[in-house]
Amino acid sequence: MIRIKDFCYWYPGQDQPALDGIDLEIPEGQFCGVVGPNGAGKSTLCYALSGFAPHFFHGTWEGELQVGKRDVPRSTLGELAGEIGLVFQNSFNQISGARFTVREEIAFGLENLGLKRKEIERRVEETLALIDLEALAERSPFALSGGQQQRVAIASILAMQPKLLVLDEPTSQLDPRGTQEVFKILDKLAGRGGTTVVLVEHKLEWLAAFADRVITFSQGRIVLDGSAKKILADEKLLKLGVGQTQFTQAAAAVQKKKFIPRSRPLPVTLKQAQKFFE
Amino acid sequence: MHGTLFVSGNSGLHRLHPLTKLALTFLFLVFAATLPNLLWLLAAFVILLVPMSAWGGLLRPFLRSCLVVITPFVISLSIIQGFFTPGETPLFHLAGFVLTGEGLLAGLTVASRILMALGGALLLMLSTRPDMLMLALTRSGLPGSLAYVVLTSIQIFPRFQERAQVILEAQQARGLEIKVNIFKRLRLLVPLMGPLVLSSIVDVEERAMALEARAFSRPGRKTSLLALADSPGQHLARWGLLLLMLALIGWSIWRAISS
Ligand SMILES: Nc1ncnc2c1ncn2[C@@H]1O[C@H](COP(=O)(O)OP(=O)(O)O)[C@@H](O)[C@H]1O
Ligand SMILES: [Mg+2]
Repeated sequence: MIRIKDFCYWYPGQDQPALDGIDLEIPEGQFCGVVGPNGAGKSTLCYALSGFAPHFFHGTWEGELQVGKRDVPRSTLGELAGEIGLVFQNSFNQISGARFTVREEIAFGLENLGLKRKEIERRVEETLALIDLEALAERSPFALSGGQQQRVAIASILAMQPKLLVLDEPTSQLDPRGTQEVFKILDKLAGRGGTTVVLVEHKLEWLAAFADRVITFSQGRIVLDGSAKKILADEKLLKLGVGQTQFTQAAAAVQKKKFIPRSRPLPVTLKQAQKFFE
Repeated sequence: MHGTLFVSGNSGLHRLHPLTKLALTFLFLVFAATLPNLLWLLAAFVILLVPMSAWGGLLRPFLRSCLVVITPFVISLSIIQGFFTPGETPLFHLAGFVLTGEGLLAGLTVASRILMALGGALLLMLSTRPDMLMLALTRSGLPGSLAYVVLTSIQIFPRFQERAQVILEAQQARGLEIKVNIFKRLRLLVPLMGPLVLSSIVDVEERAMALEARAFSRPGRKTSLLALADSPGQHLARWGLLLLMLALIGWSIWRAISS
Protein backbone atom coordinates (compact mmCIF):
# COMPACT_ATOMS: atom_id res chain seq x y z
CA MET A 1 0.00 0.00 0.00
CA ILE A 2 2.65 2.51 1.10
CA ARG A 3 6.11 2.21 -0.40
CA ILE A 4 8.71 4.76 0.65
CA LYS A 5 12.29 4.41 -0.57
CA ASP A 6 15.14 6.56 0.66
CA PHE A 7 12.85 9.58 0.94
CA CYS A 8 14.27 12.89 2.15
CA TYR A 9 12.47 16.19 2.61
CA TRP A 10 13.76 19.68 3.44
CA TYR A 11 11.49 22.55 4.49
CA PRO A 12 12.26 25.74 2.53
CA GLY A 13 15.53 27.32 3.60
CA GLN A 14 16.52 24.45 5.93
CA ASP A 15 19.87 22.62 5.65
CA GLN A 16 18.78 19.81 7.96
CA PRO A 17 16.25 17.46 6.34
CA ALA A 18 13.04 16.98 8.35
CA LEU A 19 12.80 13.50 6.83
CA ASP A 20 16.18 11.87 6.37
CA GLY A 21 16.33 8.70 4.26
CA ILE A 22 12.99 7.11 5.11
CA ASP A 23 12.47 3.48 4.03
CA LEU A 24 9.04 2.18 4.87
CA GLU A 25 6.53 -0.31 3.52
CA ILE A 26 3.04 -0.58 4.99
CA PRO A 27 0.69 -3.28 3.70
CA GLU A 28 -2.97 -2.62 2.99
CA GLY A 29 -5.25 -2.62 6.04
CA GLN A 30 -2.46 -2.25 8.59
CA PHE A 31 -2.96 -0.02 11.64
CA CYS A 32 0.43 1.58 12.08
CA GLY A 33 1.28 3.82 15.05
CA VAL A 34 4.02 6.47 14.85
CA VAL A 35 5.82 7.72 17.97
CA GLY A 36 8.83 9.92 18.63
CA PRO A 37 9.92 13.02 20.56
CA ASN A 38 8.90 16.55 19.55
CA GLY A 39 10.51 17.69 16.32
CA ALA A 40 11.34 14.14 15.24
CA GLY A 41 9.50 14.49 11.94
CA LYS A 42 6.23 12.69 12.67
CA SER A 43 4.04 15.51 11.35
CA THR A 44 6.32 15.90 8.36
CA LEU A 45 5.82 12.20 7.57
CA CYS A 46 2.05 12.81 7.64
CA TYR A 47 2.47 15.79 5.30
CA ALA A 48 4.69 13.78 2.95
CA LEU A 49 2.20 10.90 2.82
CA SER A 50 -0.62 13.29 1.95
CA GLY A 51 1.42 15.42 -0.45
CA PHE A 52 1.40 18.63 1.63
CA ALA A 53 5.17 18.26 1.72
CA PRO A 54 6.14 19.44 -0.86
CA HIS A 55 2.91 20.75 -2.47
CA PHE A 56 1.74 22.97 0.38
CA PHE A 57 4.99 23.73 2.23
CA HIS A 58 7.17 23.69 -0.93
CA GLY A 59 10.78 22.86 -0.04
CA THR A 60 12.78 20.10 -1.72
CA TRP A 61 12.64 16.31 -1.68
CA GLU A 62 14.29 13.24 -3.12
CA GLY A 63 13.56 9.52 -3.19
CA GLU A 64 10.33 7.64 -3.88
CA LEU A 65 6.99 7.80 -2.12
CA GLN A 66 4.06 5.78 -3.43
CA VAL A 67 0.60 5.24 -1.98
CA GLY A 68 -1.16 2.53 -3.93
CA LYS A 69 -0.29 3.29 -7.54
CA ARG A 70 -0.05 7.01 -6.88
CA ASP A 71 3.36 8.71 -6.99
CA VAL A 72 2.59 11.22 -4.24
CA PRO A 73 5.22 13.96 -4.64
CA ARG A 74 4.63 13.95 -8.40
CA SER A 75 0.84 14.33 -8.08
CA THR A 76 -1.17 17.48 -7.39
CA LEU A 77 -3.07 18.13 -4.17
CA GLY A 78 -6.27 18.07 -6.19
CA GLU A 79 -5.51 14.50 -7.31
CA LEU A 80 -4.51 13.44 -3.81
CA ALA A 81 -7.49 14.90 -1.94
CA GLY A 82 -9.91 12.09 -1.36
CA GLU A 83 -7.34 9.37 -2.07
CA ILE A 84 -5.27 10.07 1.01
CA GLY A 85 -7.10 11.46 4.02
CA LEU A 86 -5.35 13.61 6.63
CA VAL A 87 -6.81 14.34 10.06
CA PHE A 88 -5.25 17.01 12.27
CA GLN A 89 -4.81 17.63 15.96
CA ASN A 90 -7.19 20.56 16.39
CA SER A 91 -10.76 19.50 15.74
CA PHE A 92 -12.10 23.07 15.55
CA ASN A 93 -9.73 24.00 12.72
CA GLN A 94 -10.97 21.12 10.61
CA ILE A 95 -14.57 22.26 10.58
CA SER A 96 -14.97 23.93 7.19
CA GLY A 97 -17.18 26.68 8.63
CA ALA A 98 -19.06 26.87 5.36
CA ARG A 99 -21.73 24.32 6.32
CA PHE A 100 -24.38 24.53 8.99
CA THR A 101 -25.03 20.92 10.03
CA VAL A 102 -22.91 17.85 10.63
CA ARG A 103 -24.59 16.14 7.67
CA GLU A 104 -23.68 19.01 5.32
CA GLU A 105 -20.20 19.25 6.78
CA ILE A 106 -19.55 15.62 5.89
CA ALA A 107 -20.92 16.30 2.40
CA PHE A 108 -18.58 19.28 1.87
CA GLY A 109 -15.59 17.25 0.61
CA LEU A 110 -17.83 15.16 -1.64
CA GLU A 111 -19.32 18.30 -3.15
CA ASN A 112 -15.81 19.52 -3.89
CA LEU A 113 -15.07 16.19 -5.58
CA GLY A 114 -18.07 16.87 -7.83
CA LEU A 115 -19.99 13.68 -6.97
CA LYS A 116 -23.66 13.34 -7.92
CA ARG A 117 -26.20 14.26 -5.23
CA LYS A 118 -27.50 10.67 -4.94
CA GLU A 119 -23.96 9.41 -4.36
CA ILE A 120 -23.25 12.17 -1.82
CA GLU A 121 -26.43 11.32 0.09
CA ARG A 122 -25.59 7.62 0.08
CA ARG A 123 -22.05 8.13 1.32
CA VAL A 124 -23.05 10.66 3.97
CA GLU A 125 -25.69 8.33 5.45
CA GLU A 126 -23.25 5.43 5.35
CA THR A 127 -20.57 7.45 7.12
CA LEU A 128 -22.97 8.84 9.72
CA ALA A 129 -23.89 5.27 10.60
CA LEU A 130 -20.29 4.03 10.59
CA ILE A 131 -19.03 6.79 12.89
CA ASP A 132 -22.17 6.69 15.01
CA LEU A 133 -23.05 10.32 14.31
CA GLU A 134 -26.69 9.87 13.28
CA ALA A 135 -28.00 11.51 16.44
CA LEU A 136 -25.85 14.60 15.76
CA ALA A 137 -26.56 14.86 12.02
CA GLU A 138 -28.69 18.00 12.23
CA ARG A 139 -26.56 19.76 14.87
CA SER A 140 -24.15 22.58 14.09
CA PRO A 141 -20.61 21.18 13.91
CA PHE A 142 -19.58 24.07 16.16
CA ALA A 143 -21.99 23.01 18.90
CA LEU A 144 -20.21 19.73 19.64
CA SER A 145 -17.72 18.47 22.20
CA GLY A 146 -14.09 18.10 21.13
CA GLY A 147 -14.45 14.35 20.77
CA GLN A 148 -17.63 14.63 18.73
CA GLN A 149 -16.04 17.33 16.56
CA GLN A 150 -13.00 15.15 15.93
CA ARG A 151 -15.32 12.31 14.93
CA VAL A 152 -17.00 14.67 12.47
CA ALA A 153 -13.56 15.58 11.09
CA ILE A 154 -12.72 11.89 10.66
CA ALA A 155 -16.13 11.20 9.13
CA SER A 156 -15.70 14.09 6.70
CA ILE A 157 -12.46 12.58 5.48
CA LEU A 158 -13.72 8.98 5.47
CA ALA A 159 -16.76 9.88 3.37
CA MET A 160 -14.29 10.69 0.59
CA GLN A 161 -13.28 7.00 0.80
CA PRO A 162 -9.51 7.42 1.00
CA LYS A 163 -7.29 4.41 0.50
CA LEU A 164 -5.07 5.66 3.29
CA LEU A 165 -6.06 7.49 6.46
CA VAL A 166 -3.30 9.54 8.13
CA LEU A 167 -3.95 11.09 11.55
CA ASP A 168 -1.56 13.51 13.27
CA GLU A 169 -2.16 13.41 17.02
CA PRO A 170 -5.95 13.44 16.65
CA THR A 171 -6.58 12.79 20.34
CA SER A 172 -4.04 15.09 21.97
CA GLN A 173 -6.66 17.76 22.71
CA LEU A 174 -9.31 15.26 23.75
CA ASP A 175 -10.33 13.97 27.16
CA PRO A 176 -10.25 10.19 27.84
CA ARG A 177 -13.80 9.81 26.62
CA GLY A 178 -13.03 11.60 23.33
CA THR A 179 -9.87 9.52 22.93
CA GLN A 180 -11.86 6.36 23.35
CA GLU A 181 -14.41 7.51 20.77
CA VAL A 182 -11.63 8.06 18.21
CA PHE A 183 -9.84 4.78 18.88
CA LYS A 184 -13.07 2.81 18.65
CA ILE A 185 -13.58 4.18 15.13
CA LEU A 186 -10.00 3.51 14.05
CA ASP A 187 -10.25 -0.04 15.38
CA LYS A 188 -13.45 -0.55 13.42
CA LEU A 189 -11.87 0.80 10.22
CA ALA A 190 -8.65 -1.16 10.42
CA GLY A 191 -10.55 -4.21 11.68
CA ARG A 192 -12.69 -4.27 8.55
CA GLY A 193 -9.48 -4.64 6.62
CA GLY A 194 -10.20 -1.97 4.05
CA THR A 195 -8.52 1.13 5.36
CA THR A 196 -4.83 1.50 5.99
CA VAL A 197 -4.26 3.71 9.05
CA VAL A 198 -1.16 5.70 9.99
CA LEU A 199 -1.59 7.30 13.40
CA VAL A 200 0.80 9.66 15.20
CA GLU A 201 -0.07 9.27 18.87
CA HIS A 202 1.46 10.06 22.26
CA LYS A 203 -0.96 7.95 24.26
CA LEU A 204 1.06 4.74 24.22
CA GLU A 205 -1.44 2.65 26.20
CA TRP A 206 -3.95 3.18 23.42
CA LEU A 207 -1.45 2.29 20.70
CA ALA A 208 -0.51 -0.85 22.58
CA ALA A 209 -4.15 -1.89 22.71
CA PHE A 210 -5.08 -1.13 19.10
CA ALA A 211 -2.13 -0.73 16.71
CA ASP A 212 -0.67 -3.62 14.69
CA ARG A 213 2.69 -2.00 14.32
CA VAL A 214 4.65 0.93 15.78
CA ILE A 215 7.45 2.87 14.15
CA THR A 216 9.62 5.25 16.14
CA PHE A 217 11.04 8.47 14.77
CA SER A 218 14.06 10.40 15.95
CA GLN A 219 15.70 13.32 14.15
CA GLY A 220 13.95 12.62 10.87
CA ARG A 221 14.81 8.92 10.79
CA ILE A 222 13.01 5.71 11.65
CA VAL A 223 14.96 4.20 14.55
CA LEU A 224 12.63 1.40 15.70
CA ASP A 225 10.06 -0.55 13.73
CA GLY A 226 8.12 -3.66 14.68
CA SER A 227 4.95 -5.04 16.22
CA ALA A 228 3.25 -2.63 18.64
CA LYS A 229 3.73 -4.91 21.64
CA LYS A 230 7.43 -5.45 20.93
CA ILE A 231 8.35 -1.82 20.21
CA LEU A 232 6.38 -0.32 23.09
CA ALA A 233 8.10 -2.67 25.56
CA ASP A 234 11.53 -1.63 24.23
CA GLU A 235 13.64 0.18 26.83
CA LYS A 236 15.19 2.37 24.10
CA LEU A 237 11.92 4.33 23.98
CA LEU A 238 12.83 5.90 27.34
CA LYS A 239 16.18 7.19 26.07
CA LEU A 240 14.51 8.50 22.91
CA GLY A 241 12.20 10.60 25.06
CA VAL A 242 9.07 8.78 23.99
CA GLY A 243 8.31 7.34 27.43
CA GLN A 244 6.62 4.09 28.30
CA THR A 245 3.11 2.92 28.99
CA GLN A 246 2.01 3.12 32.62
CA PHE A 247 1.91 -0.67 32.69
CA THR A 248 5.51 -0.89 31.55
CA GLN A 249 6.65 1.73 34.07
CA ALA A 250 4.95 -0.03 36.95
CA ALA A 251 6.32 -3.39 35.92
CA ALA A 252 9.85 -2.04 35.45
CA ALA A 253 9.77 -0.41 38.90
CA VAL A 254 8.68 -3.65 40.54
CA GLN A 255 11.17 -5.69 38.54
CA LYS A 256 14.02 -3.44 39.67
CA LYS A 257 13.26 -4.38 43.27
CA LYS A 258 13.85 -7.95 42.11
CA PHE A 259 10.45 -9.28 43.04
CA ILE A 260 10.13 -10.49 39.49
CA PRO A 261 12.79 -12.20 37.32
CA ARG A 262 14.37 -10.01 34.64
CA SER A 263 13.67 -12.61 32.01
CA ARG A 264 9.95 -11.86 32.16
CA PRO A 265 9.07 -9.45 29.27
CA LEU A 266 7.62 -6.06 30.27
CA PRO A 267 3.88 -5.55 29.64
CA VAL A 268 2.36 -2.77 27.50
CA THR A 269 -1.37 -3.58 27.82
CA LEU A 270 -3.65 -4.11 30.78
CA LYS A 271 -3.97 -7.82 29.99
CA GLN A 272 -0.22 -8.30 29.80
CA ALA A 273 0.21 -6.35 33.03
CA GLN A 274 -2.24 -8.58 34.86
CA LYS A 275 -0.30 -11.65 33.71
CA PHE A 276 3.01 -10.00 34.62
CA PHE A 277 1.99 -9.31 38.19
CA GLU A 278 0.35 -12.69 38.81
CA MET B 1 -28.96 28.41 12.21
CA HIS B 2 -26.43 29.94 14.52
CA GLY B 3 -25.38 33.47 13.59
CA THR B 4 -28.11 33.90 10.97
CA LEU B 5 -31.62 35.36 10.93
CA PHE B 6 -33.02 32.43 8.97
CA VAL B 7 -36.32 31.04 10.28
CA SER B 8 -36.90 27.58 8.85
CA GLY B 9 -40.18 26.83 7.15
CA ASN B 10 -41.69 25.32 4.06
CA SER B 11 -43.77 28.22 2.78
CA GLY B 12 -43.95 29.37 -0.81
CA LEU B 13 -41.62 32.23 0.09
CA HIS B 14 -39.11 29.81 1.54
CA ARG B 15 -39.26 27.68 -1.58
CA LEU B 16 -38.68 30.52 -4.05
CA HIS B 17 -35.32 30.37 -5.79
CA PRO B 18 -32.82 32.54 -3.82
CA LEU B 19 -32.10 34.67 -6.88
CA THR B 20 -35.80 35.44 -7.26
CA LYS B 21 -35.88 36.64 -3.64
CA LEU B 22 -32.67 38.56 -4.19
CA ALA B 23 -34.27 40.28 -7.20
CA LEU B 24 -37.24 41.22 -5.01
CA THR B 25 -34.87 42.62 -2.40
CA PHE B 26 -33.25 44.78 -5.05
CA LEU B 27 -36.65 45.86 -6.28
CA PHE B 28 -37.55 47.03 -2.77
CA LEU B 29 -34.23 48.84 -2.63
CA VAL B 30 -35.15 50.63 -5.85
CA PHE B 31 -38.57 51.42 -4.37
CA ALA B 32 -36.84 52.89 -1.34
CA ALA B 33 -34.78 55.16 -3.54
CA THR B 34 -37.40 56.15 -6.11
CA LEU B 35 -40.89 56.27 -4.56
CA PRO B 36 -41.81 59.96 -4.29
CA ASN B 37 -43.21 60.39 -0.79
CA LEU B 38 -44.05 58.96 2.63
CA LEU B 39 -47.51 57.84 1.58
CA TRP B 40 -46.21 55.82 -1.37
CA LEU B 41 -43.47 54.27 0.72
CA LEU B 42 -45.75 53.24 3.56
CA ALA B 43 -48.33 51.94 1.09
CA ALA B 44 -45.69 49.81 -0.66
CA PHE B 45 -44.53 48.47 2.69
CA VAL B 46 -48.05 47.56 3.82
CA ILE B 47 -49.26 46.24 0.46
CA LEU B 48 -46.12 44.31 -0.58
CA LEU B 49 -43.71 43.51 2.23
CA VAL B 50 -46.16 42.78 5.03
CA PRO B 51 -48.27 40.30 3.01
CA MET B 52 -45.09 38.69 1.66
CA SER B 53 -43.83 38.11 5.18
CA ALA B 54 -47.22 36.64 6.10
CA TRP B 55 -47.01 34.37 3.04
CA GLY B 56 -43.70 33.09 4.43
CA GLY B 57 -45.22 32.59 7.89
CA LEU B 58 -42.80 35.24 9.06
CA LEU B 59 -45.13 38.09 10.02
CA ARG B 60 -44.12 38.23 13.67
CA PRO B 61 -40.31 37.93 13.27
CA PHE B 62 -40.48 40.29 10.29
CA LEU B 63 -42.37 43.04 12.10
CA ARG B 64 -40.31 42.56 15.24
CA SER B 65 -36.98 42.88 13.37
CA CYS B 66 -38.31 45.87 11.43
CA LEU B 67 -39.28 47.58 14.65
CA VAL B 68 -35.91 46.90 16.23
CA VAL B 69 -34.02 48.16 13.20
CA ILE B 70 -36.13 51.19 12.36
CA THR B 71 -36.92 52.70 15.78
CA PRO B 72 -33.54 54.38 16.29
CA PHE B 73 -33.74 55.83 12.77
CA VAL B 74 -37.27 57.17 13.32
CA ILE B 75 -36.26 58.86 16.56
CA SER B 76 -32.94 60.33 15.44
CA LEU B 77 -34.13 61.39 11.96
CA SER B 78 -37.33 62.98 13.33
CA ILE B 79 -35.34 65.00 15.81
CA ILE B 80 -32.54 66.05 13.48
CA GLN B 81 -34.68 66.80 10.43
CA GLY B 82 -37.58 68.10 12.55
CA PHE B 83 -35.59 70.73 14.38
CA PHE B 84 -33.22 71.74 11.60
CA THR B 85 -35.56 71.94 8.62
CA PRO B 86 -37.13 75.39 8.37
CA GLY B 87 -40.90 75.43 7.74
CA GLU B 88 -44.26 77.16 8.14
CA THR B 89 -45.89 74.84 10.66
CA PRO B 90 -44.26 74.95 14.09
CA LEU B 91 -45.33 72.00 16.21
CA PHE B 92 -43.18 72.20 19.29
CA HIS B 93 -40.71 74.60 20.96
CA LEU B 94 -37.67 73.50 22.91
CA ALA B 95 -34.94 75.77 24.27
CA GLY B 96 -35.21 78.18 21.36
CA PHE B 97 -35.44 75.43 18.71
CA VAL B 98 -38.63 74.76 16.74
CA LEU B 99 -39.85 71.38 15.55
CA THR B 100 -41.56 71.98 12.20
CA GLY B 101 -44.19 69.85 10.52
CA GLU B 102 -42.20 69.93 7.27
CA GLY B 103 -39.08 68.76 9.08
CA LEU B 104 -40.90 65.95 10.82
CA LEU B 105 -42.34 64.80 7.50
CA ALA B 106 -38.89 64.89 5.88
CA GLY B 107 -37.41 62.86 8.74
CA LEU B 108 -40.17 60.26 8.59
CA THR B 109 -39.80 60.02 4.81
CA VAL B 110 -36.09 59.22 5.08
CA ALA B 111 -36.86 56.71 7.84
CA SER B 112 -39.49 55.05 5.66
CA ARG B 113 -36.98 54.76 2.80
CA ILE B 114 -34.63 52.98 5.19
CA LEU B 115 -37.50 50.79 6.40
CA MET B 116 -38.32 49.83 2.82
CA ALA B 117 -34.71 48.93 1.98
CA LEU B 118 -33.95 47.09 5.22
CA GLY B 119 -37.35 45.40 5.19
CA GLY B 120 -36.54 43.88 1.80
CA ALA B 121 -33.20 42.65 3.07
CA LEU B 122 -34.79 41.25 6.24
CA LEU B 123 -37.37 39.37 4.22
CA LEU B 124 -34.57 37.75 2.22
CA MET B 125 -32.53 36.85 5.28
CA LEU B 126 -35.49 35.52 7.27
CA SER B 127 -36.65 33.22 4.47
CA THR B 128 -33.38 32.13 2.80
CA ARG B 129 -30.60 29.90 4.06
CA PRO B 130 -27.32 31.77 3.51
CA ASP B 131 -25.72 28.64 2.06
CA MET B 132 -28.60 28.33 -0.44
CA LEU B 133 -28.14 31.95 -1.46
CA MET B 134 -24.39 31.45 -1.88
CA LEU B 135 -24.96 28.25 -3.85
CA ALA B 136 -27.30 30.10 -6.19
CA LEU B 137 -24.78 32.92 -6.58
CA THR B 138 -21.84 30.59 -7.27
CA ARG B 139 -23.97 28.79 -9.87
CA SER B 140 -24.32 32.12 -11.61
CA GLY B 141 -20.65 32.98 -11.49
CA LEU B 142 -19.70 34.18 -7.99
CA PRO B 143 -16.22 32.75 -7.15
CA GLY B 144 -16.49 29.80 -4.75
CA SER B 145 -13.82 31.25 -2.49
CA LEU B 146 -15.89 34.40 -2.00
CA ALA B 147 -18.96 32.38 -1.07
CA TYR B 148 -16.77 30.44 1.35
CA VAL B 149 -15.55 33.62 3.03
CA VAL B 150 -19.09 34.91 3.48
CA LEU B 151 -20.38 31.65 4.94
CA THR B 152 -17.46 31.16 7.31
CA SER B 153 -17.68 34.76 8.49
CA ILE B 154 -21.29 34.21 9.47
CA GLN B 155 -20.33 31.23 11.58
CA ILE B 156 -16.87 32.06 12.77
CA PHE B 157 -17.37 35.57 14.08
CA PRO B 158 -19.57 34.41 16.96
CA ARG B 159 -16.81 31.85 17.80
CA PHE B 160 -14.22 34.61 17.65
CA GLN B 161 -16.24 36.55 20.22
CA GLU B 162 -16.46 33.47 22.43
CA ARG B 163 -12.71 33.04 22.23
CA ALA B 164 -12.13 36.71 23.04
CA GLN B 165 -14.39 36.26 26.05
CA VAL B 166 -12.36 33.27 27.24
CA ILE B 167 -9.08 35.19 26.94
CA LEU B 168 -10.67 38.20 28.64
CA GLU B 169 -11.84 36.08 31.55
CA ALA B 170 -8.41 34.47 31.85
CA GLN B 171 -6.80 37.90 31.99
CA GLN B 172 -9.34 39.09 34.55
CA ALA B 173 -8.56 36.01 36.62
CA ARG B 174 -4.89 37.00 36.48
CA GLY B 175 -5.80 40.43 37.85
CA LEU B 176 -6.13 42.64 34.78
CA GLU B 177 -8.93 44.99 35.75
CA ILE B 178 -11.80 45.21 33.37
CA LYS B 179 -14.66 47.13 34.98
CA VAL B 180 -13.35 50.54 34.08
CA ASN B 181 -14.31 53.35 31.75
CA ILE B 182 -14.48 53.05 28.00
CA PHE B 183 -11.01 54.48 27.26
CA LYS B 184 -9.26 52.18 29.69
CA ARG B 185 -11.34 49.37 28.23
CA LEU B 186 -10.01 50.12 24.74
CA ARG B 187 -6.48 50.06 26.10
CA LEU B 188 -7.21 46.66 27.61
CA LEU B 189 -7.95 45.36 24.14
CA VAL B 190 -4.25 45.58 23.33
CA PRO B 191 -3.15 42.64 25.50
CA LEU B 192 -6.23 40.82 24.26
CA MET B 193 -5.32 41.21 20.59
CA GLY B 194 -1.95 39.50 21.06
CA PRO B 195 -3.17 36.03 21.99
CA LEU B 196 -6.24 36.32 19.80
CA VAL B 197 -4.37 37.22 16.61
CA LEU B 198 -1.46 34.89 17.33
CA SER B 199 -3.62 31.85 17.95
CA SER B 200 -5.57 32.71 14.83
CA ILE B 201 -2.47 32.99 12.63
CA VAL B 202 -1.14 29.64 13.84
CA ASP B 203 -4.54 28.16 13.05
CA VAL B 204 -4.67 29.61 9.55
CA GLU B 205 -2.08 27.18 8.18
CA GLU B 206 -3.84 24.16 9.67
CA ARG B 207 -7.22 25.46 8.46
CA ALA B 208 -5.84 25.90 4.95
CA MET B 209 -4.48 22.36 4.91
CA ALA B 210 -7.70 20.92 6.32
CA LEU B 211 -9.59 22.64 3.50
CA GLU B 212 -7.18 21.22 0.91
CA ALA B 213 -7.68 17.77 2.40
CA ARG B 214 -11.37 18.25 1.62
CA ALA B 215 -10.52 18.95 -2.04
CA PHE B 216 -11.54 22.60 -1.70
CA SER B 217 -9.28 23.94 -4.45
CA ARG B 218 -9.51 20.91 -6.69
CA PRO B 219 -10.16 22.11 -10.22
CA GLY B 220 -13.38 21.04 -11.88
CA ARG B 221 -17.09 21.33 -11.27
CA LYS B 222 -18.48 21.13 -7.76
CA THR B 223 -21.83 19.66 -6.85
CA SER B 224 -24.10 20.22 -3.89
CA LEU B 225 -26.07 18.21 -1.37
CA LEU B 226 -28.63 21.01 -1.32
CA ALA B 227 -31.15 21.02 -4.12
CA LEU B 228 -31.98 24.36 -5.73
CA ALA B 229 -35.43 24.34 -7.31
CA ASP B 230 -35.95 26.82 -10.13
CA SER B 231 -38.69 27.15 -12.75
CA PRO B 232 -39.06 28.82 -16.14
CA GLY B 233 -41.70 31.05 -14.54
CA GLN B 234 -39.30 32.30 -11.89
CA HIS B 235 -36.59 32.76 -14.49
CA LEU B 236 -38.96 34.96 -16.45
CA ALA B 237 -40.08 36.77 -13.29
CA ARG B 238 -36.50 37.71 -12.49
CA TRP B 239 -36.10 39.33 -15.91
CA GLY B 240 -39.41 41.08 -15.34
CA LEU B 241 -38.24 42.39 -11.98
CA LEU B 242 -35.03 43.64 -13.56
CA LEU B 243 -36.99 45.51 -16.24
CA LEU B 244 -39.30 46.96 -13.59
CA MET B 245 -36.29 48.22 -11.64
CA LEU B 246 -34.81 49.85 -14.72
CA ALA B 247 -38.17 51.43 -15.51
CA LEU B 248 -38.49 52.82 -11.97
CA ILE B 249 -34.98 54.24 -12.09
CA GLY B 250 -35.68 55.78 -15.51
CA TRP B 251 -38.95 57.25 -14.25
CA SER B 252 -37.31 58.88 -11.24
CA ILE B 253 -34.50 60.30 -13.38
CA TRP B 254 -37.08 61.69 -15.79
CA ARG B 255 -38.99 63.24 -12.86
CA ALA B 256 -35.82 64.81 -11.52
CA ILE B 257 -34.94 66.31 -14.90
CA SER B 258 -38.40 67.62 -15.69
CA SER B 259 -38.98 69.33 -12.35
N1 LIG C 1 6.99 24.75 8.40
C1 LIG C 1 8.24 24.41 8.77
N2 LIG C 1 9.30 25.10 8.30
C2 LIG C 1 10.56 24.75 8.66
N3 LIG C 1 10.86 23.74 9.49
C3 LIG C 1 9.86 23.02 10.01
C4 LIG C 1 8.48 23.32 9.68
N4 LIG C 1 7.69 22.44 10.33
C5 LIG C 1 8.53 21.63 11.03
N5 LIG C 1 9.82 21.97 10.85
C6 LIG C 1 11.00 21.30 11.43
O1 LIG C 1 11.02 19.98 10.96
C7 LIG C 1 11.40 19.08 11.98
C8 LIG C 1 10.32 18.03 12.16
O2 LIG C 1 9.14 18.64 12.65
P1 LIG C 1 7.78 17.89 12.83
O3 LIG C 1 7.56 16.98 11.68
O4 LIG C 1 6.74 18.90 13.11
O5 LIG C 1 8.05 17.02 14.15
P2 LIG C 1 7.04 16.26 15.11
O6 LIG C 1 5.69 16.27 14.48
O7 LIG C 1 7.61 14.91 15.27
O8 LIG C 1 7.05 16.99 16.40
C9 LIG C 1 11.63 19.94 13.22
O9 LIG C 1 12.98 20.16 13.34
C10 LIG C 1 10.89 21.21 12.91
O10 LIG C 1 11.53 22.31 13.54
MG1 LIG D 1 3.85 17.09 15.18
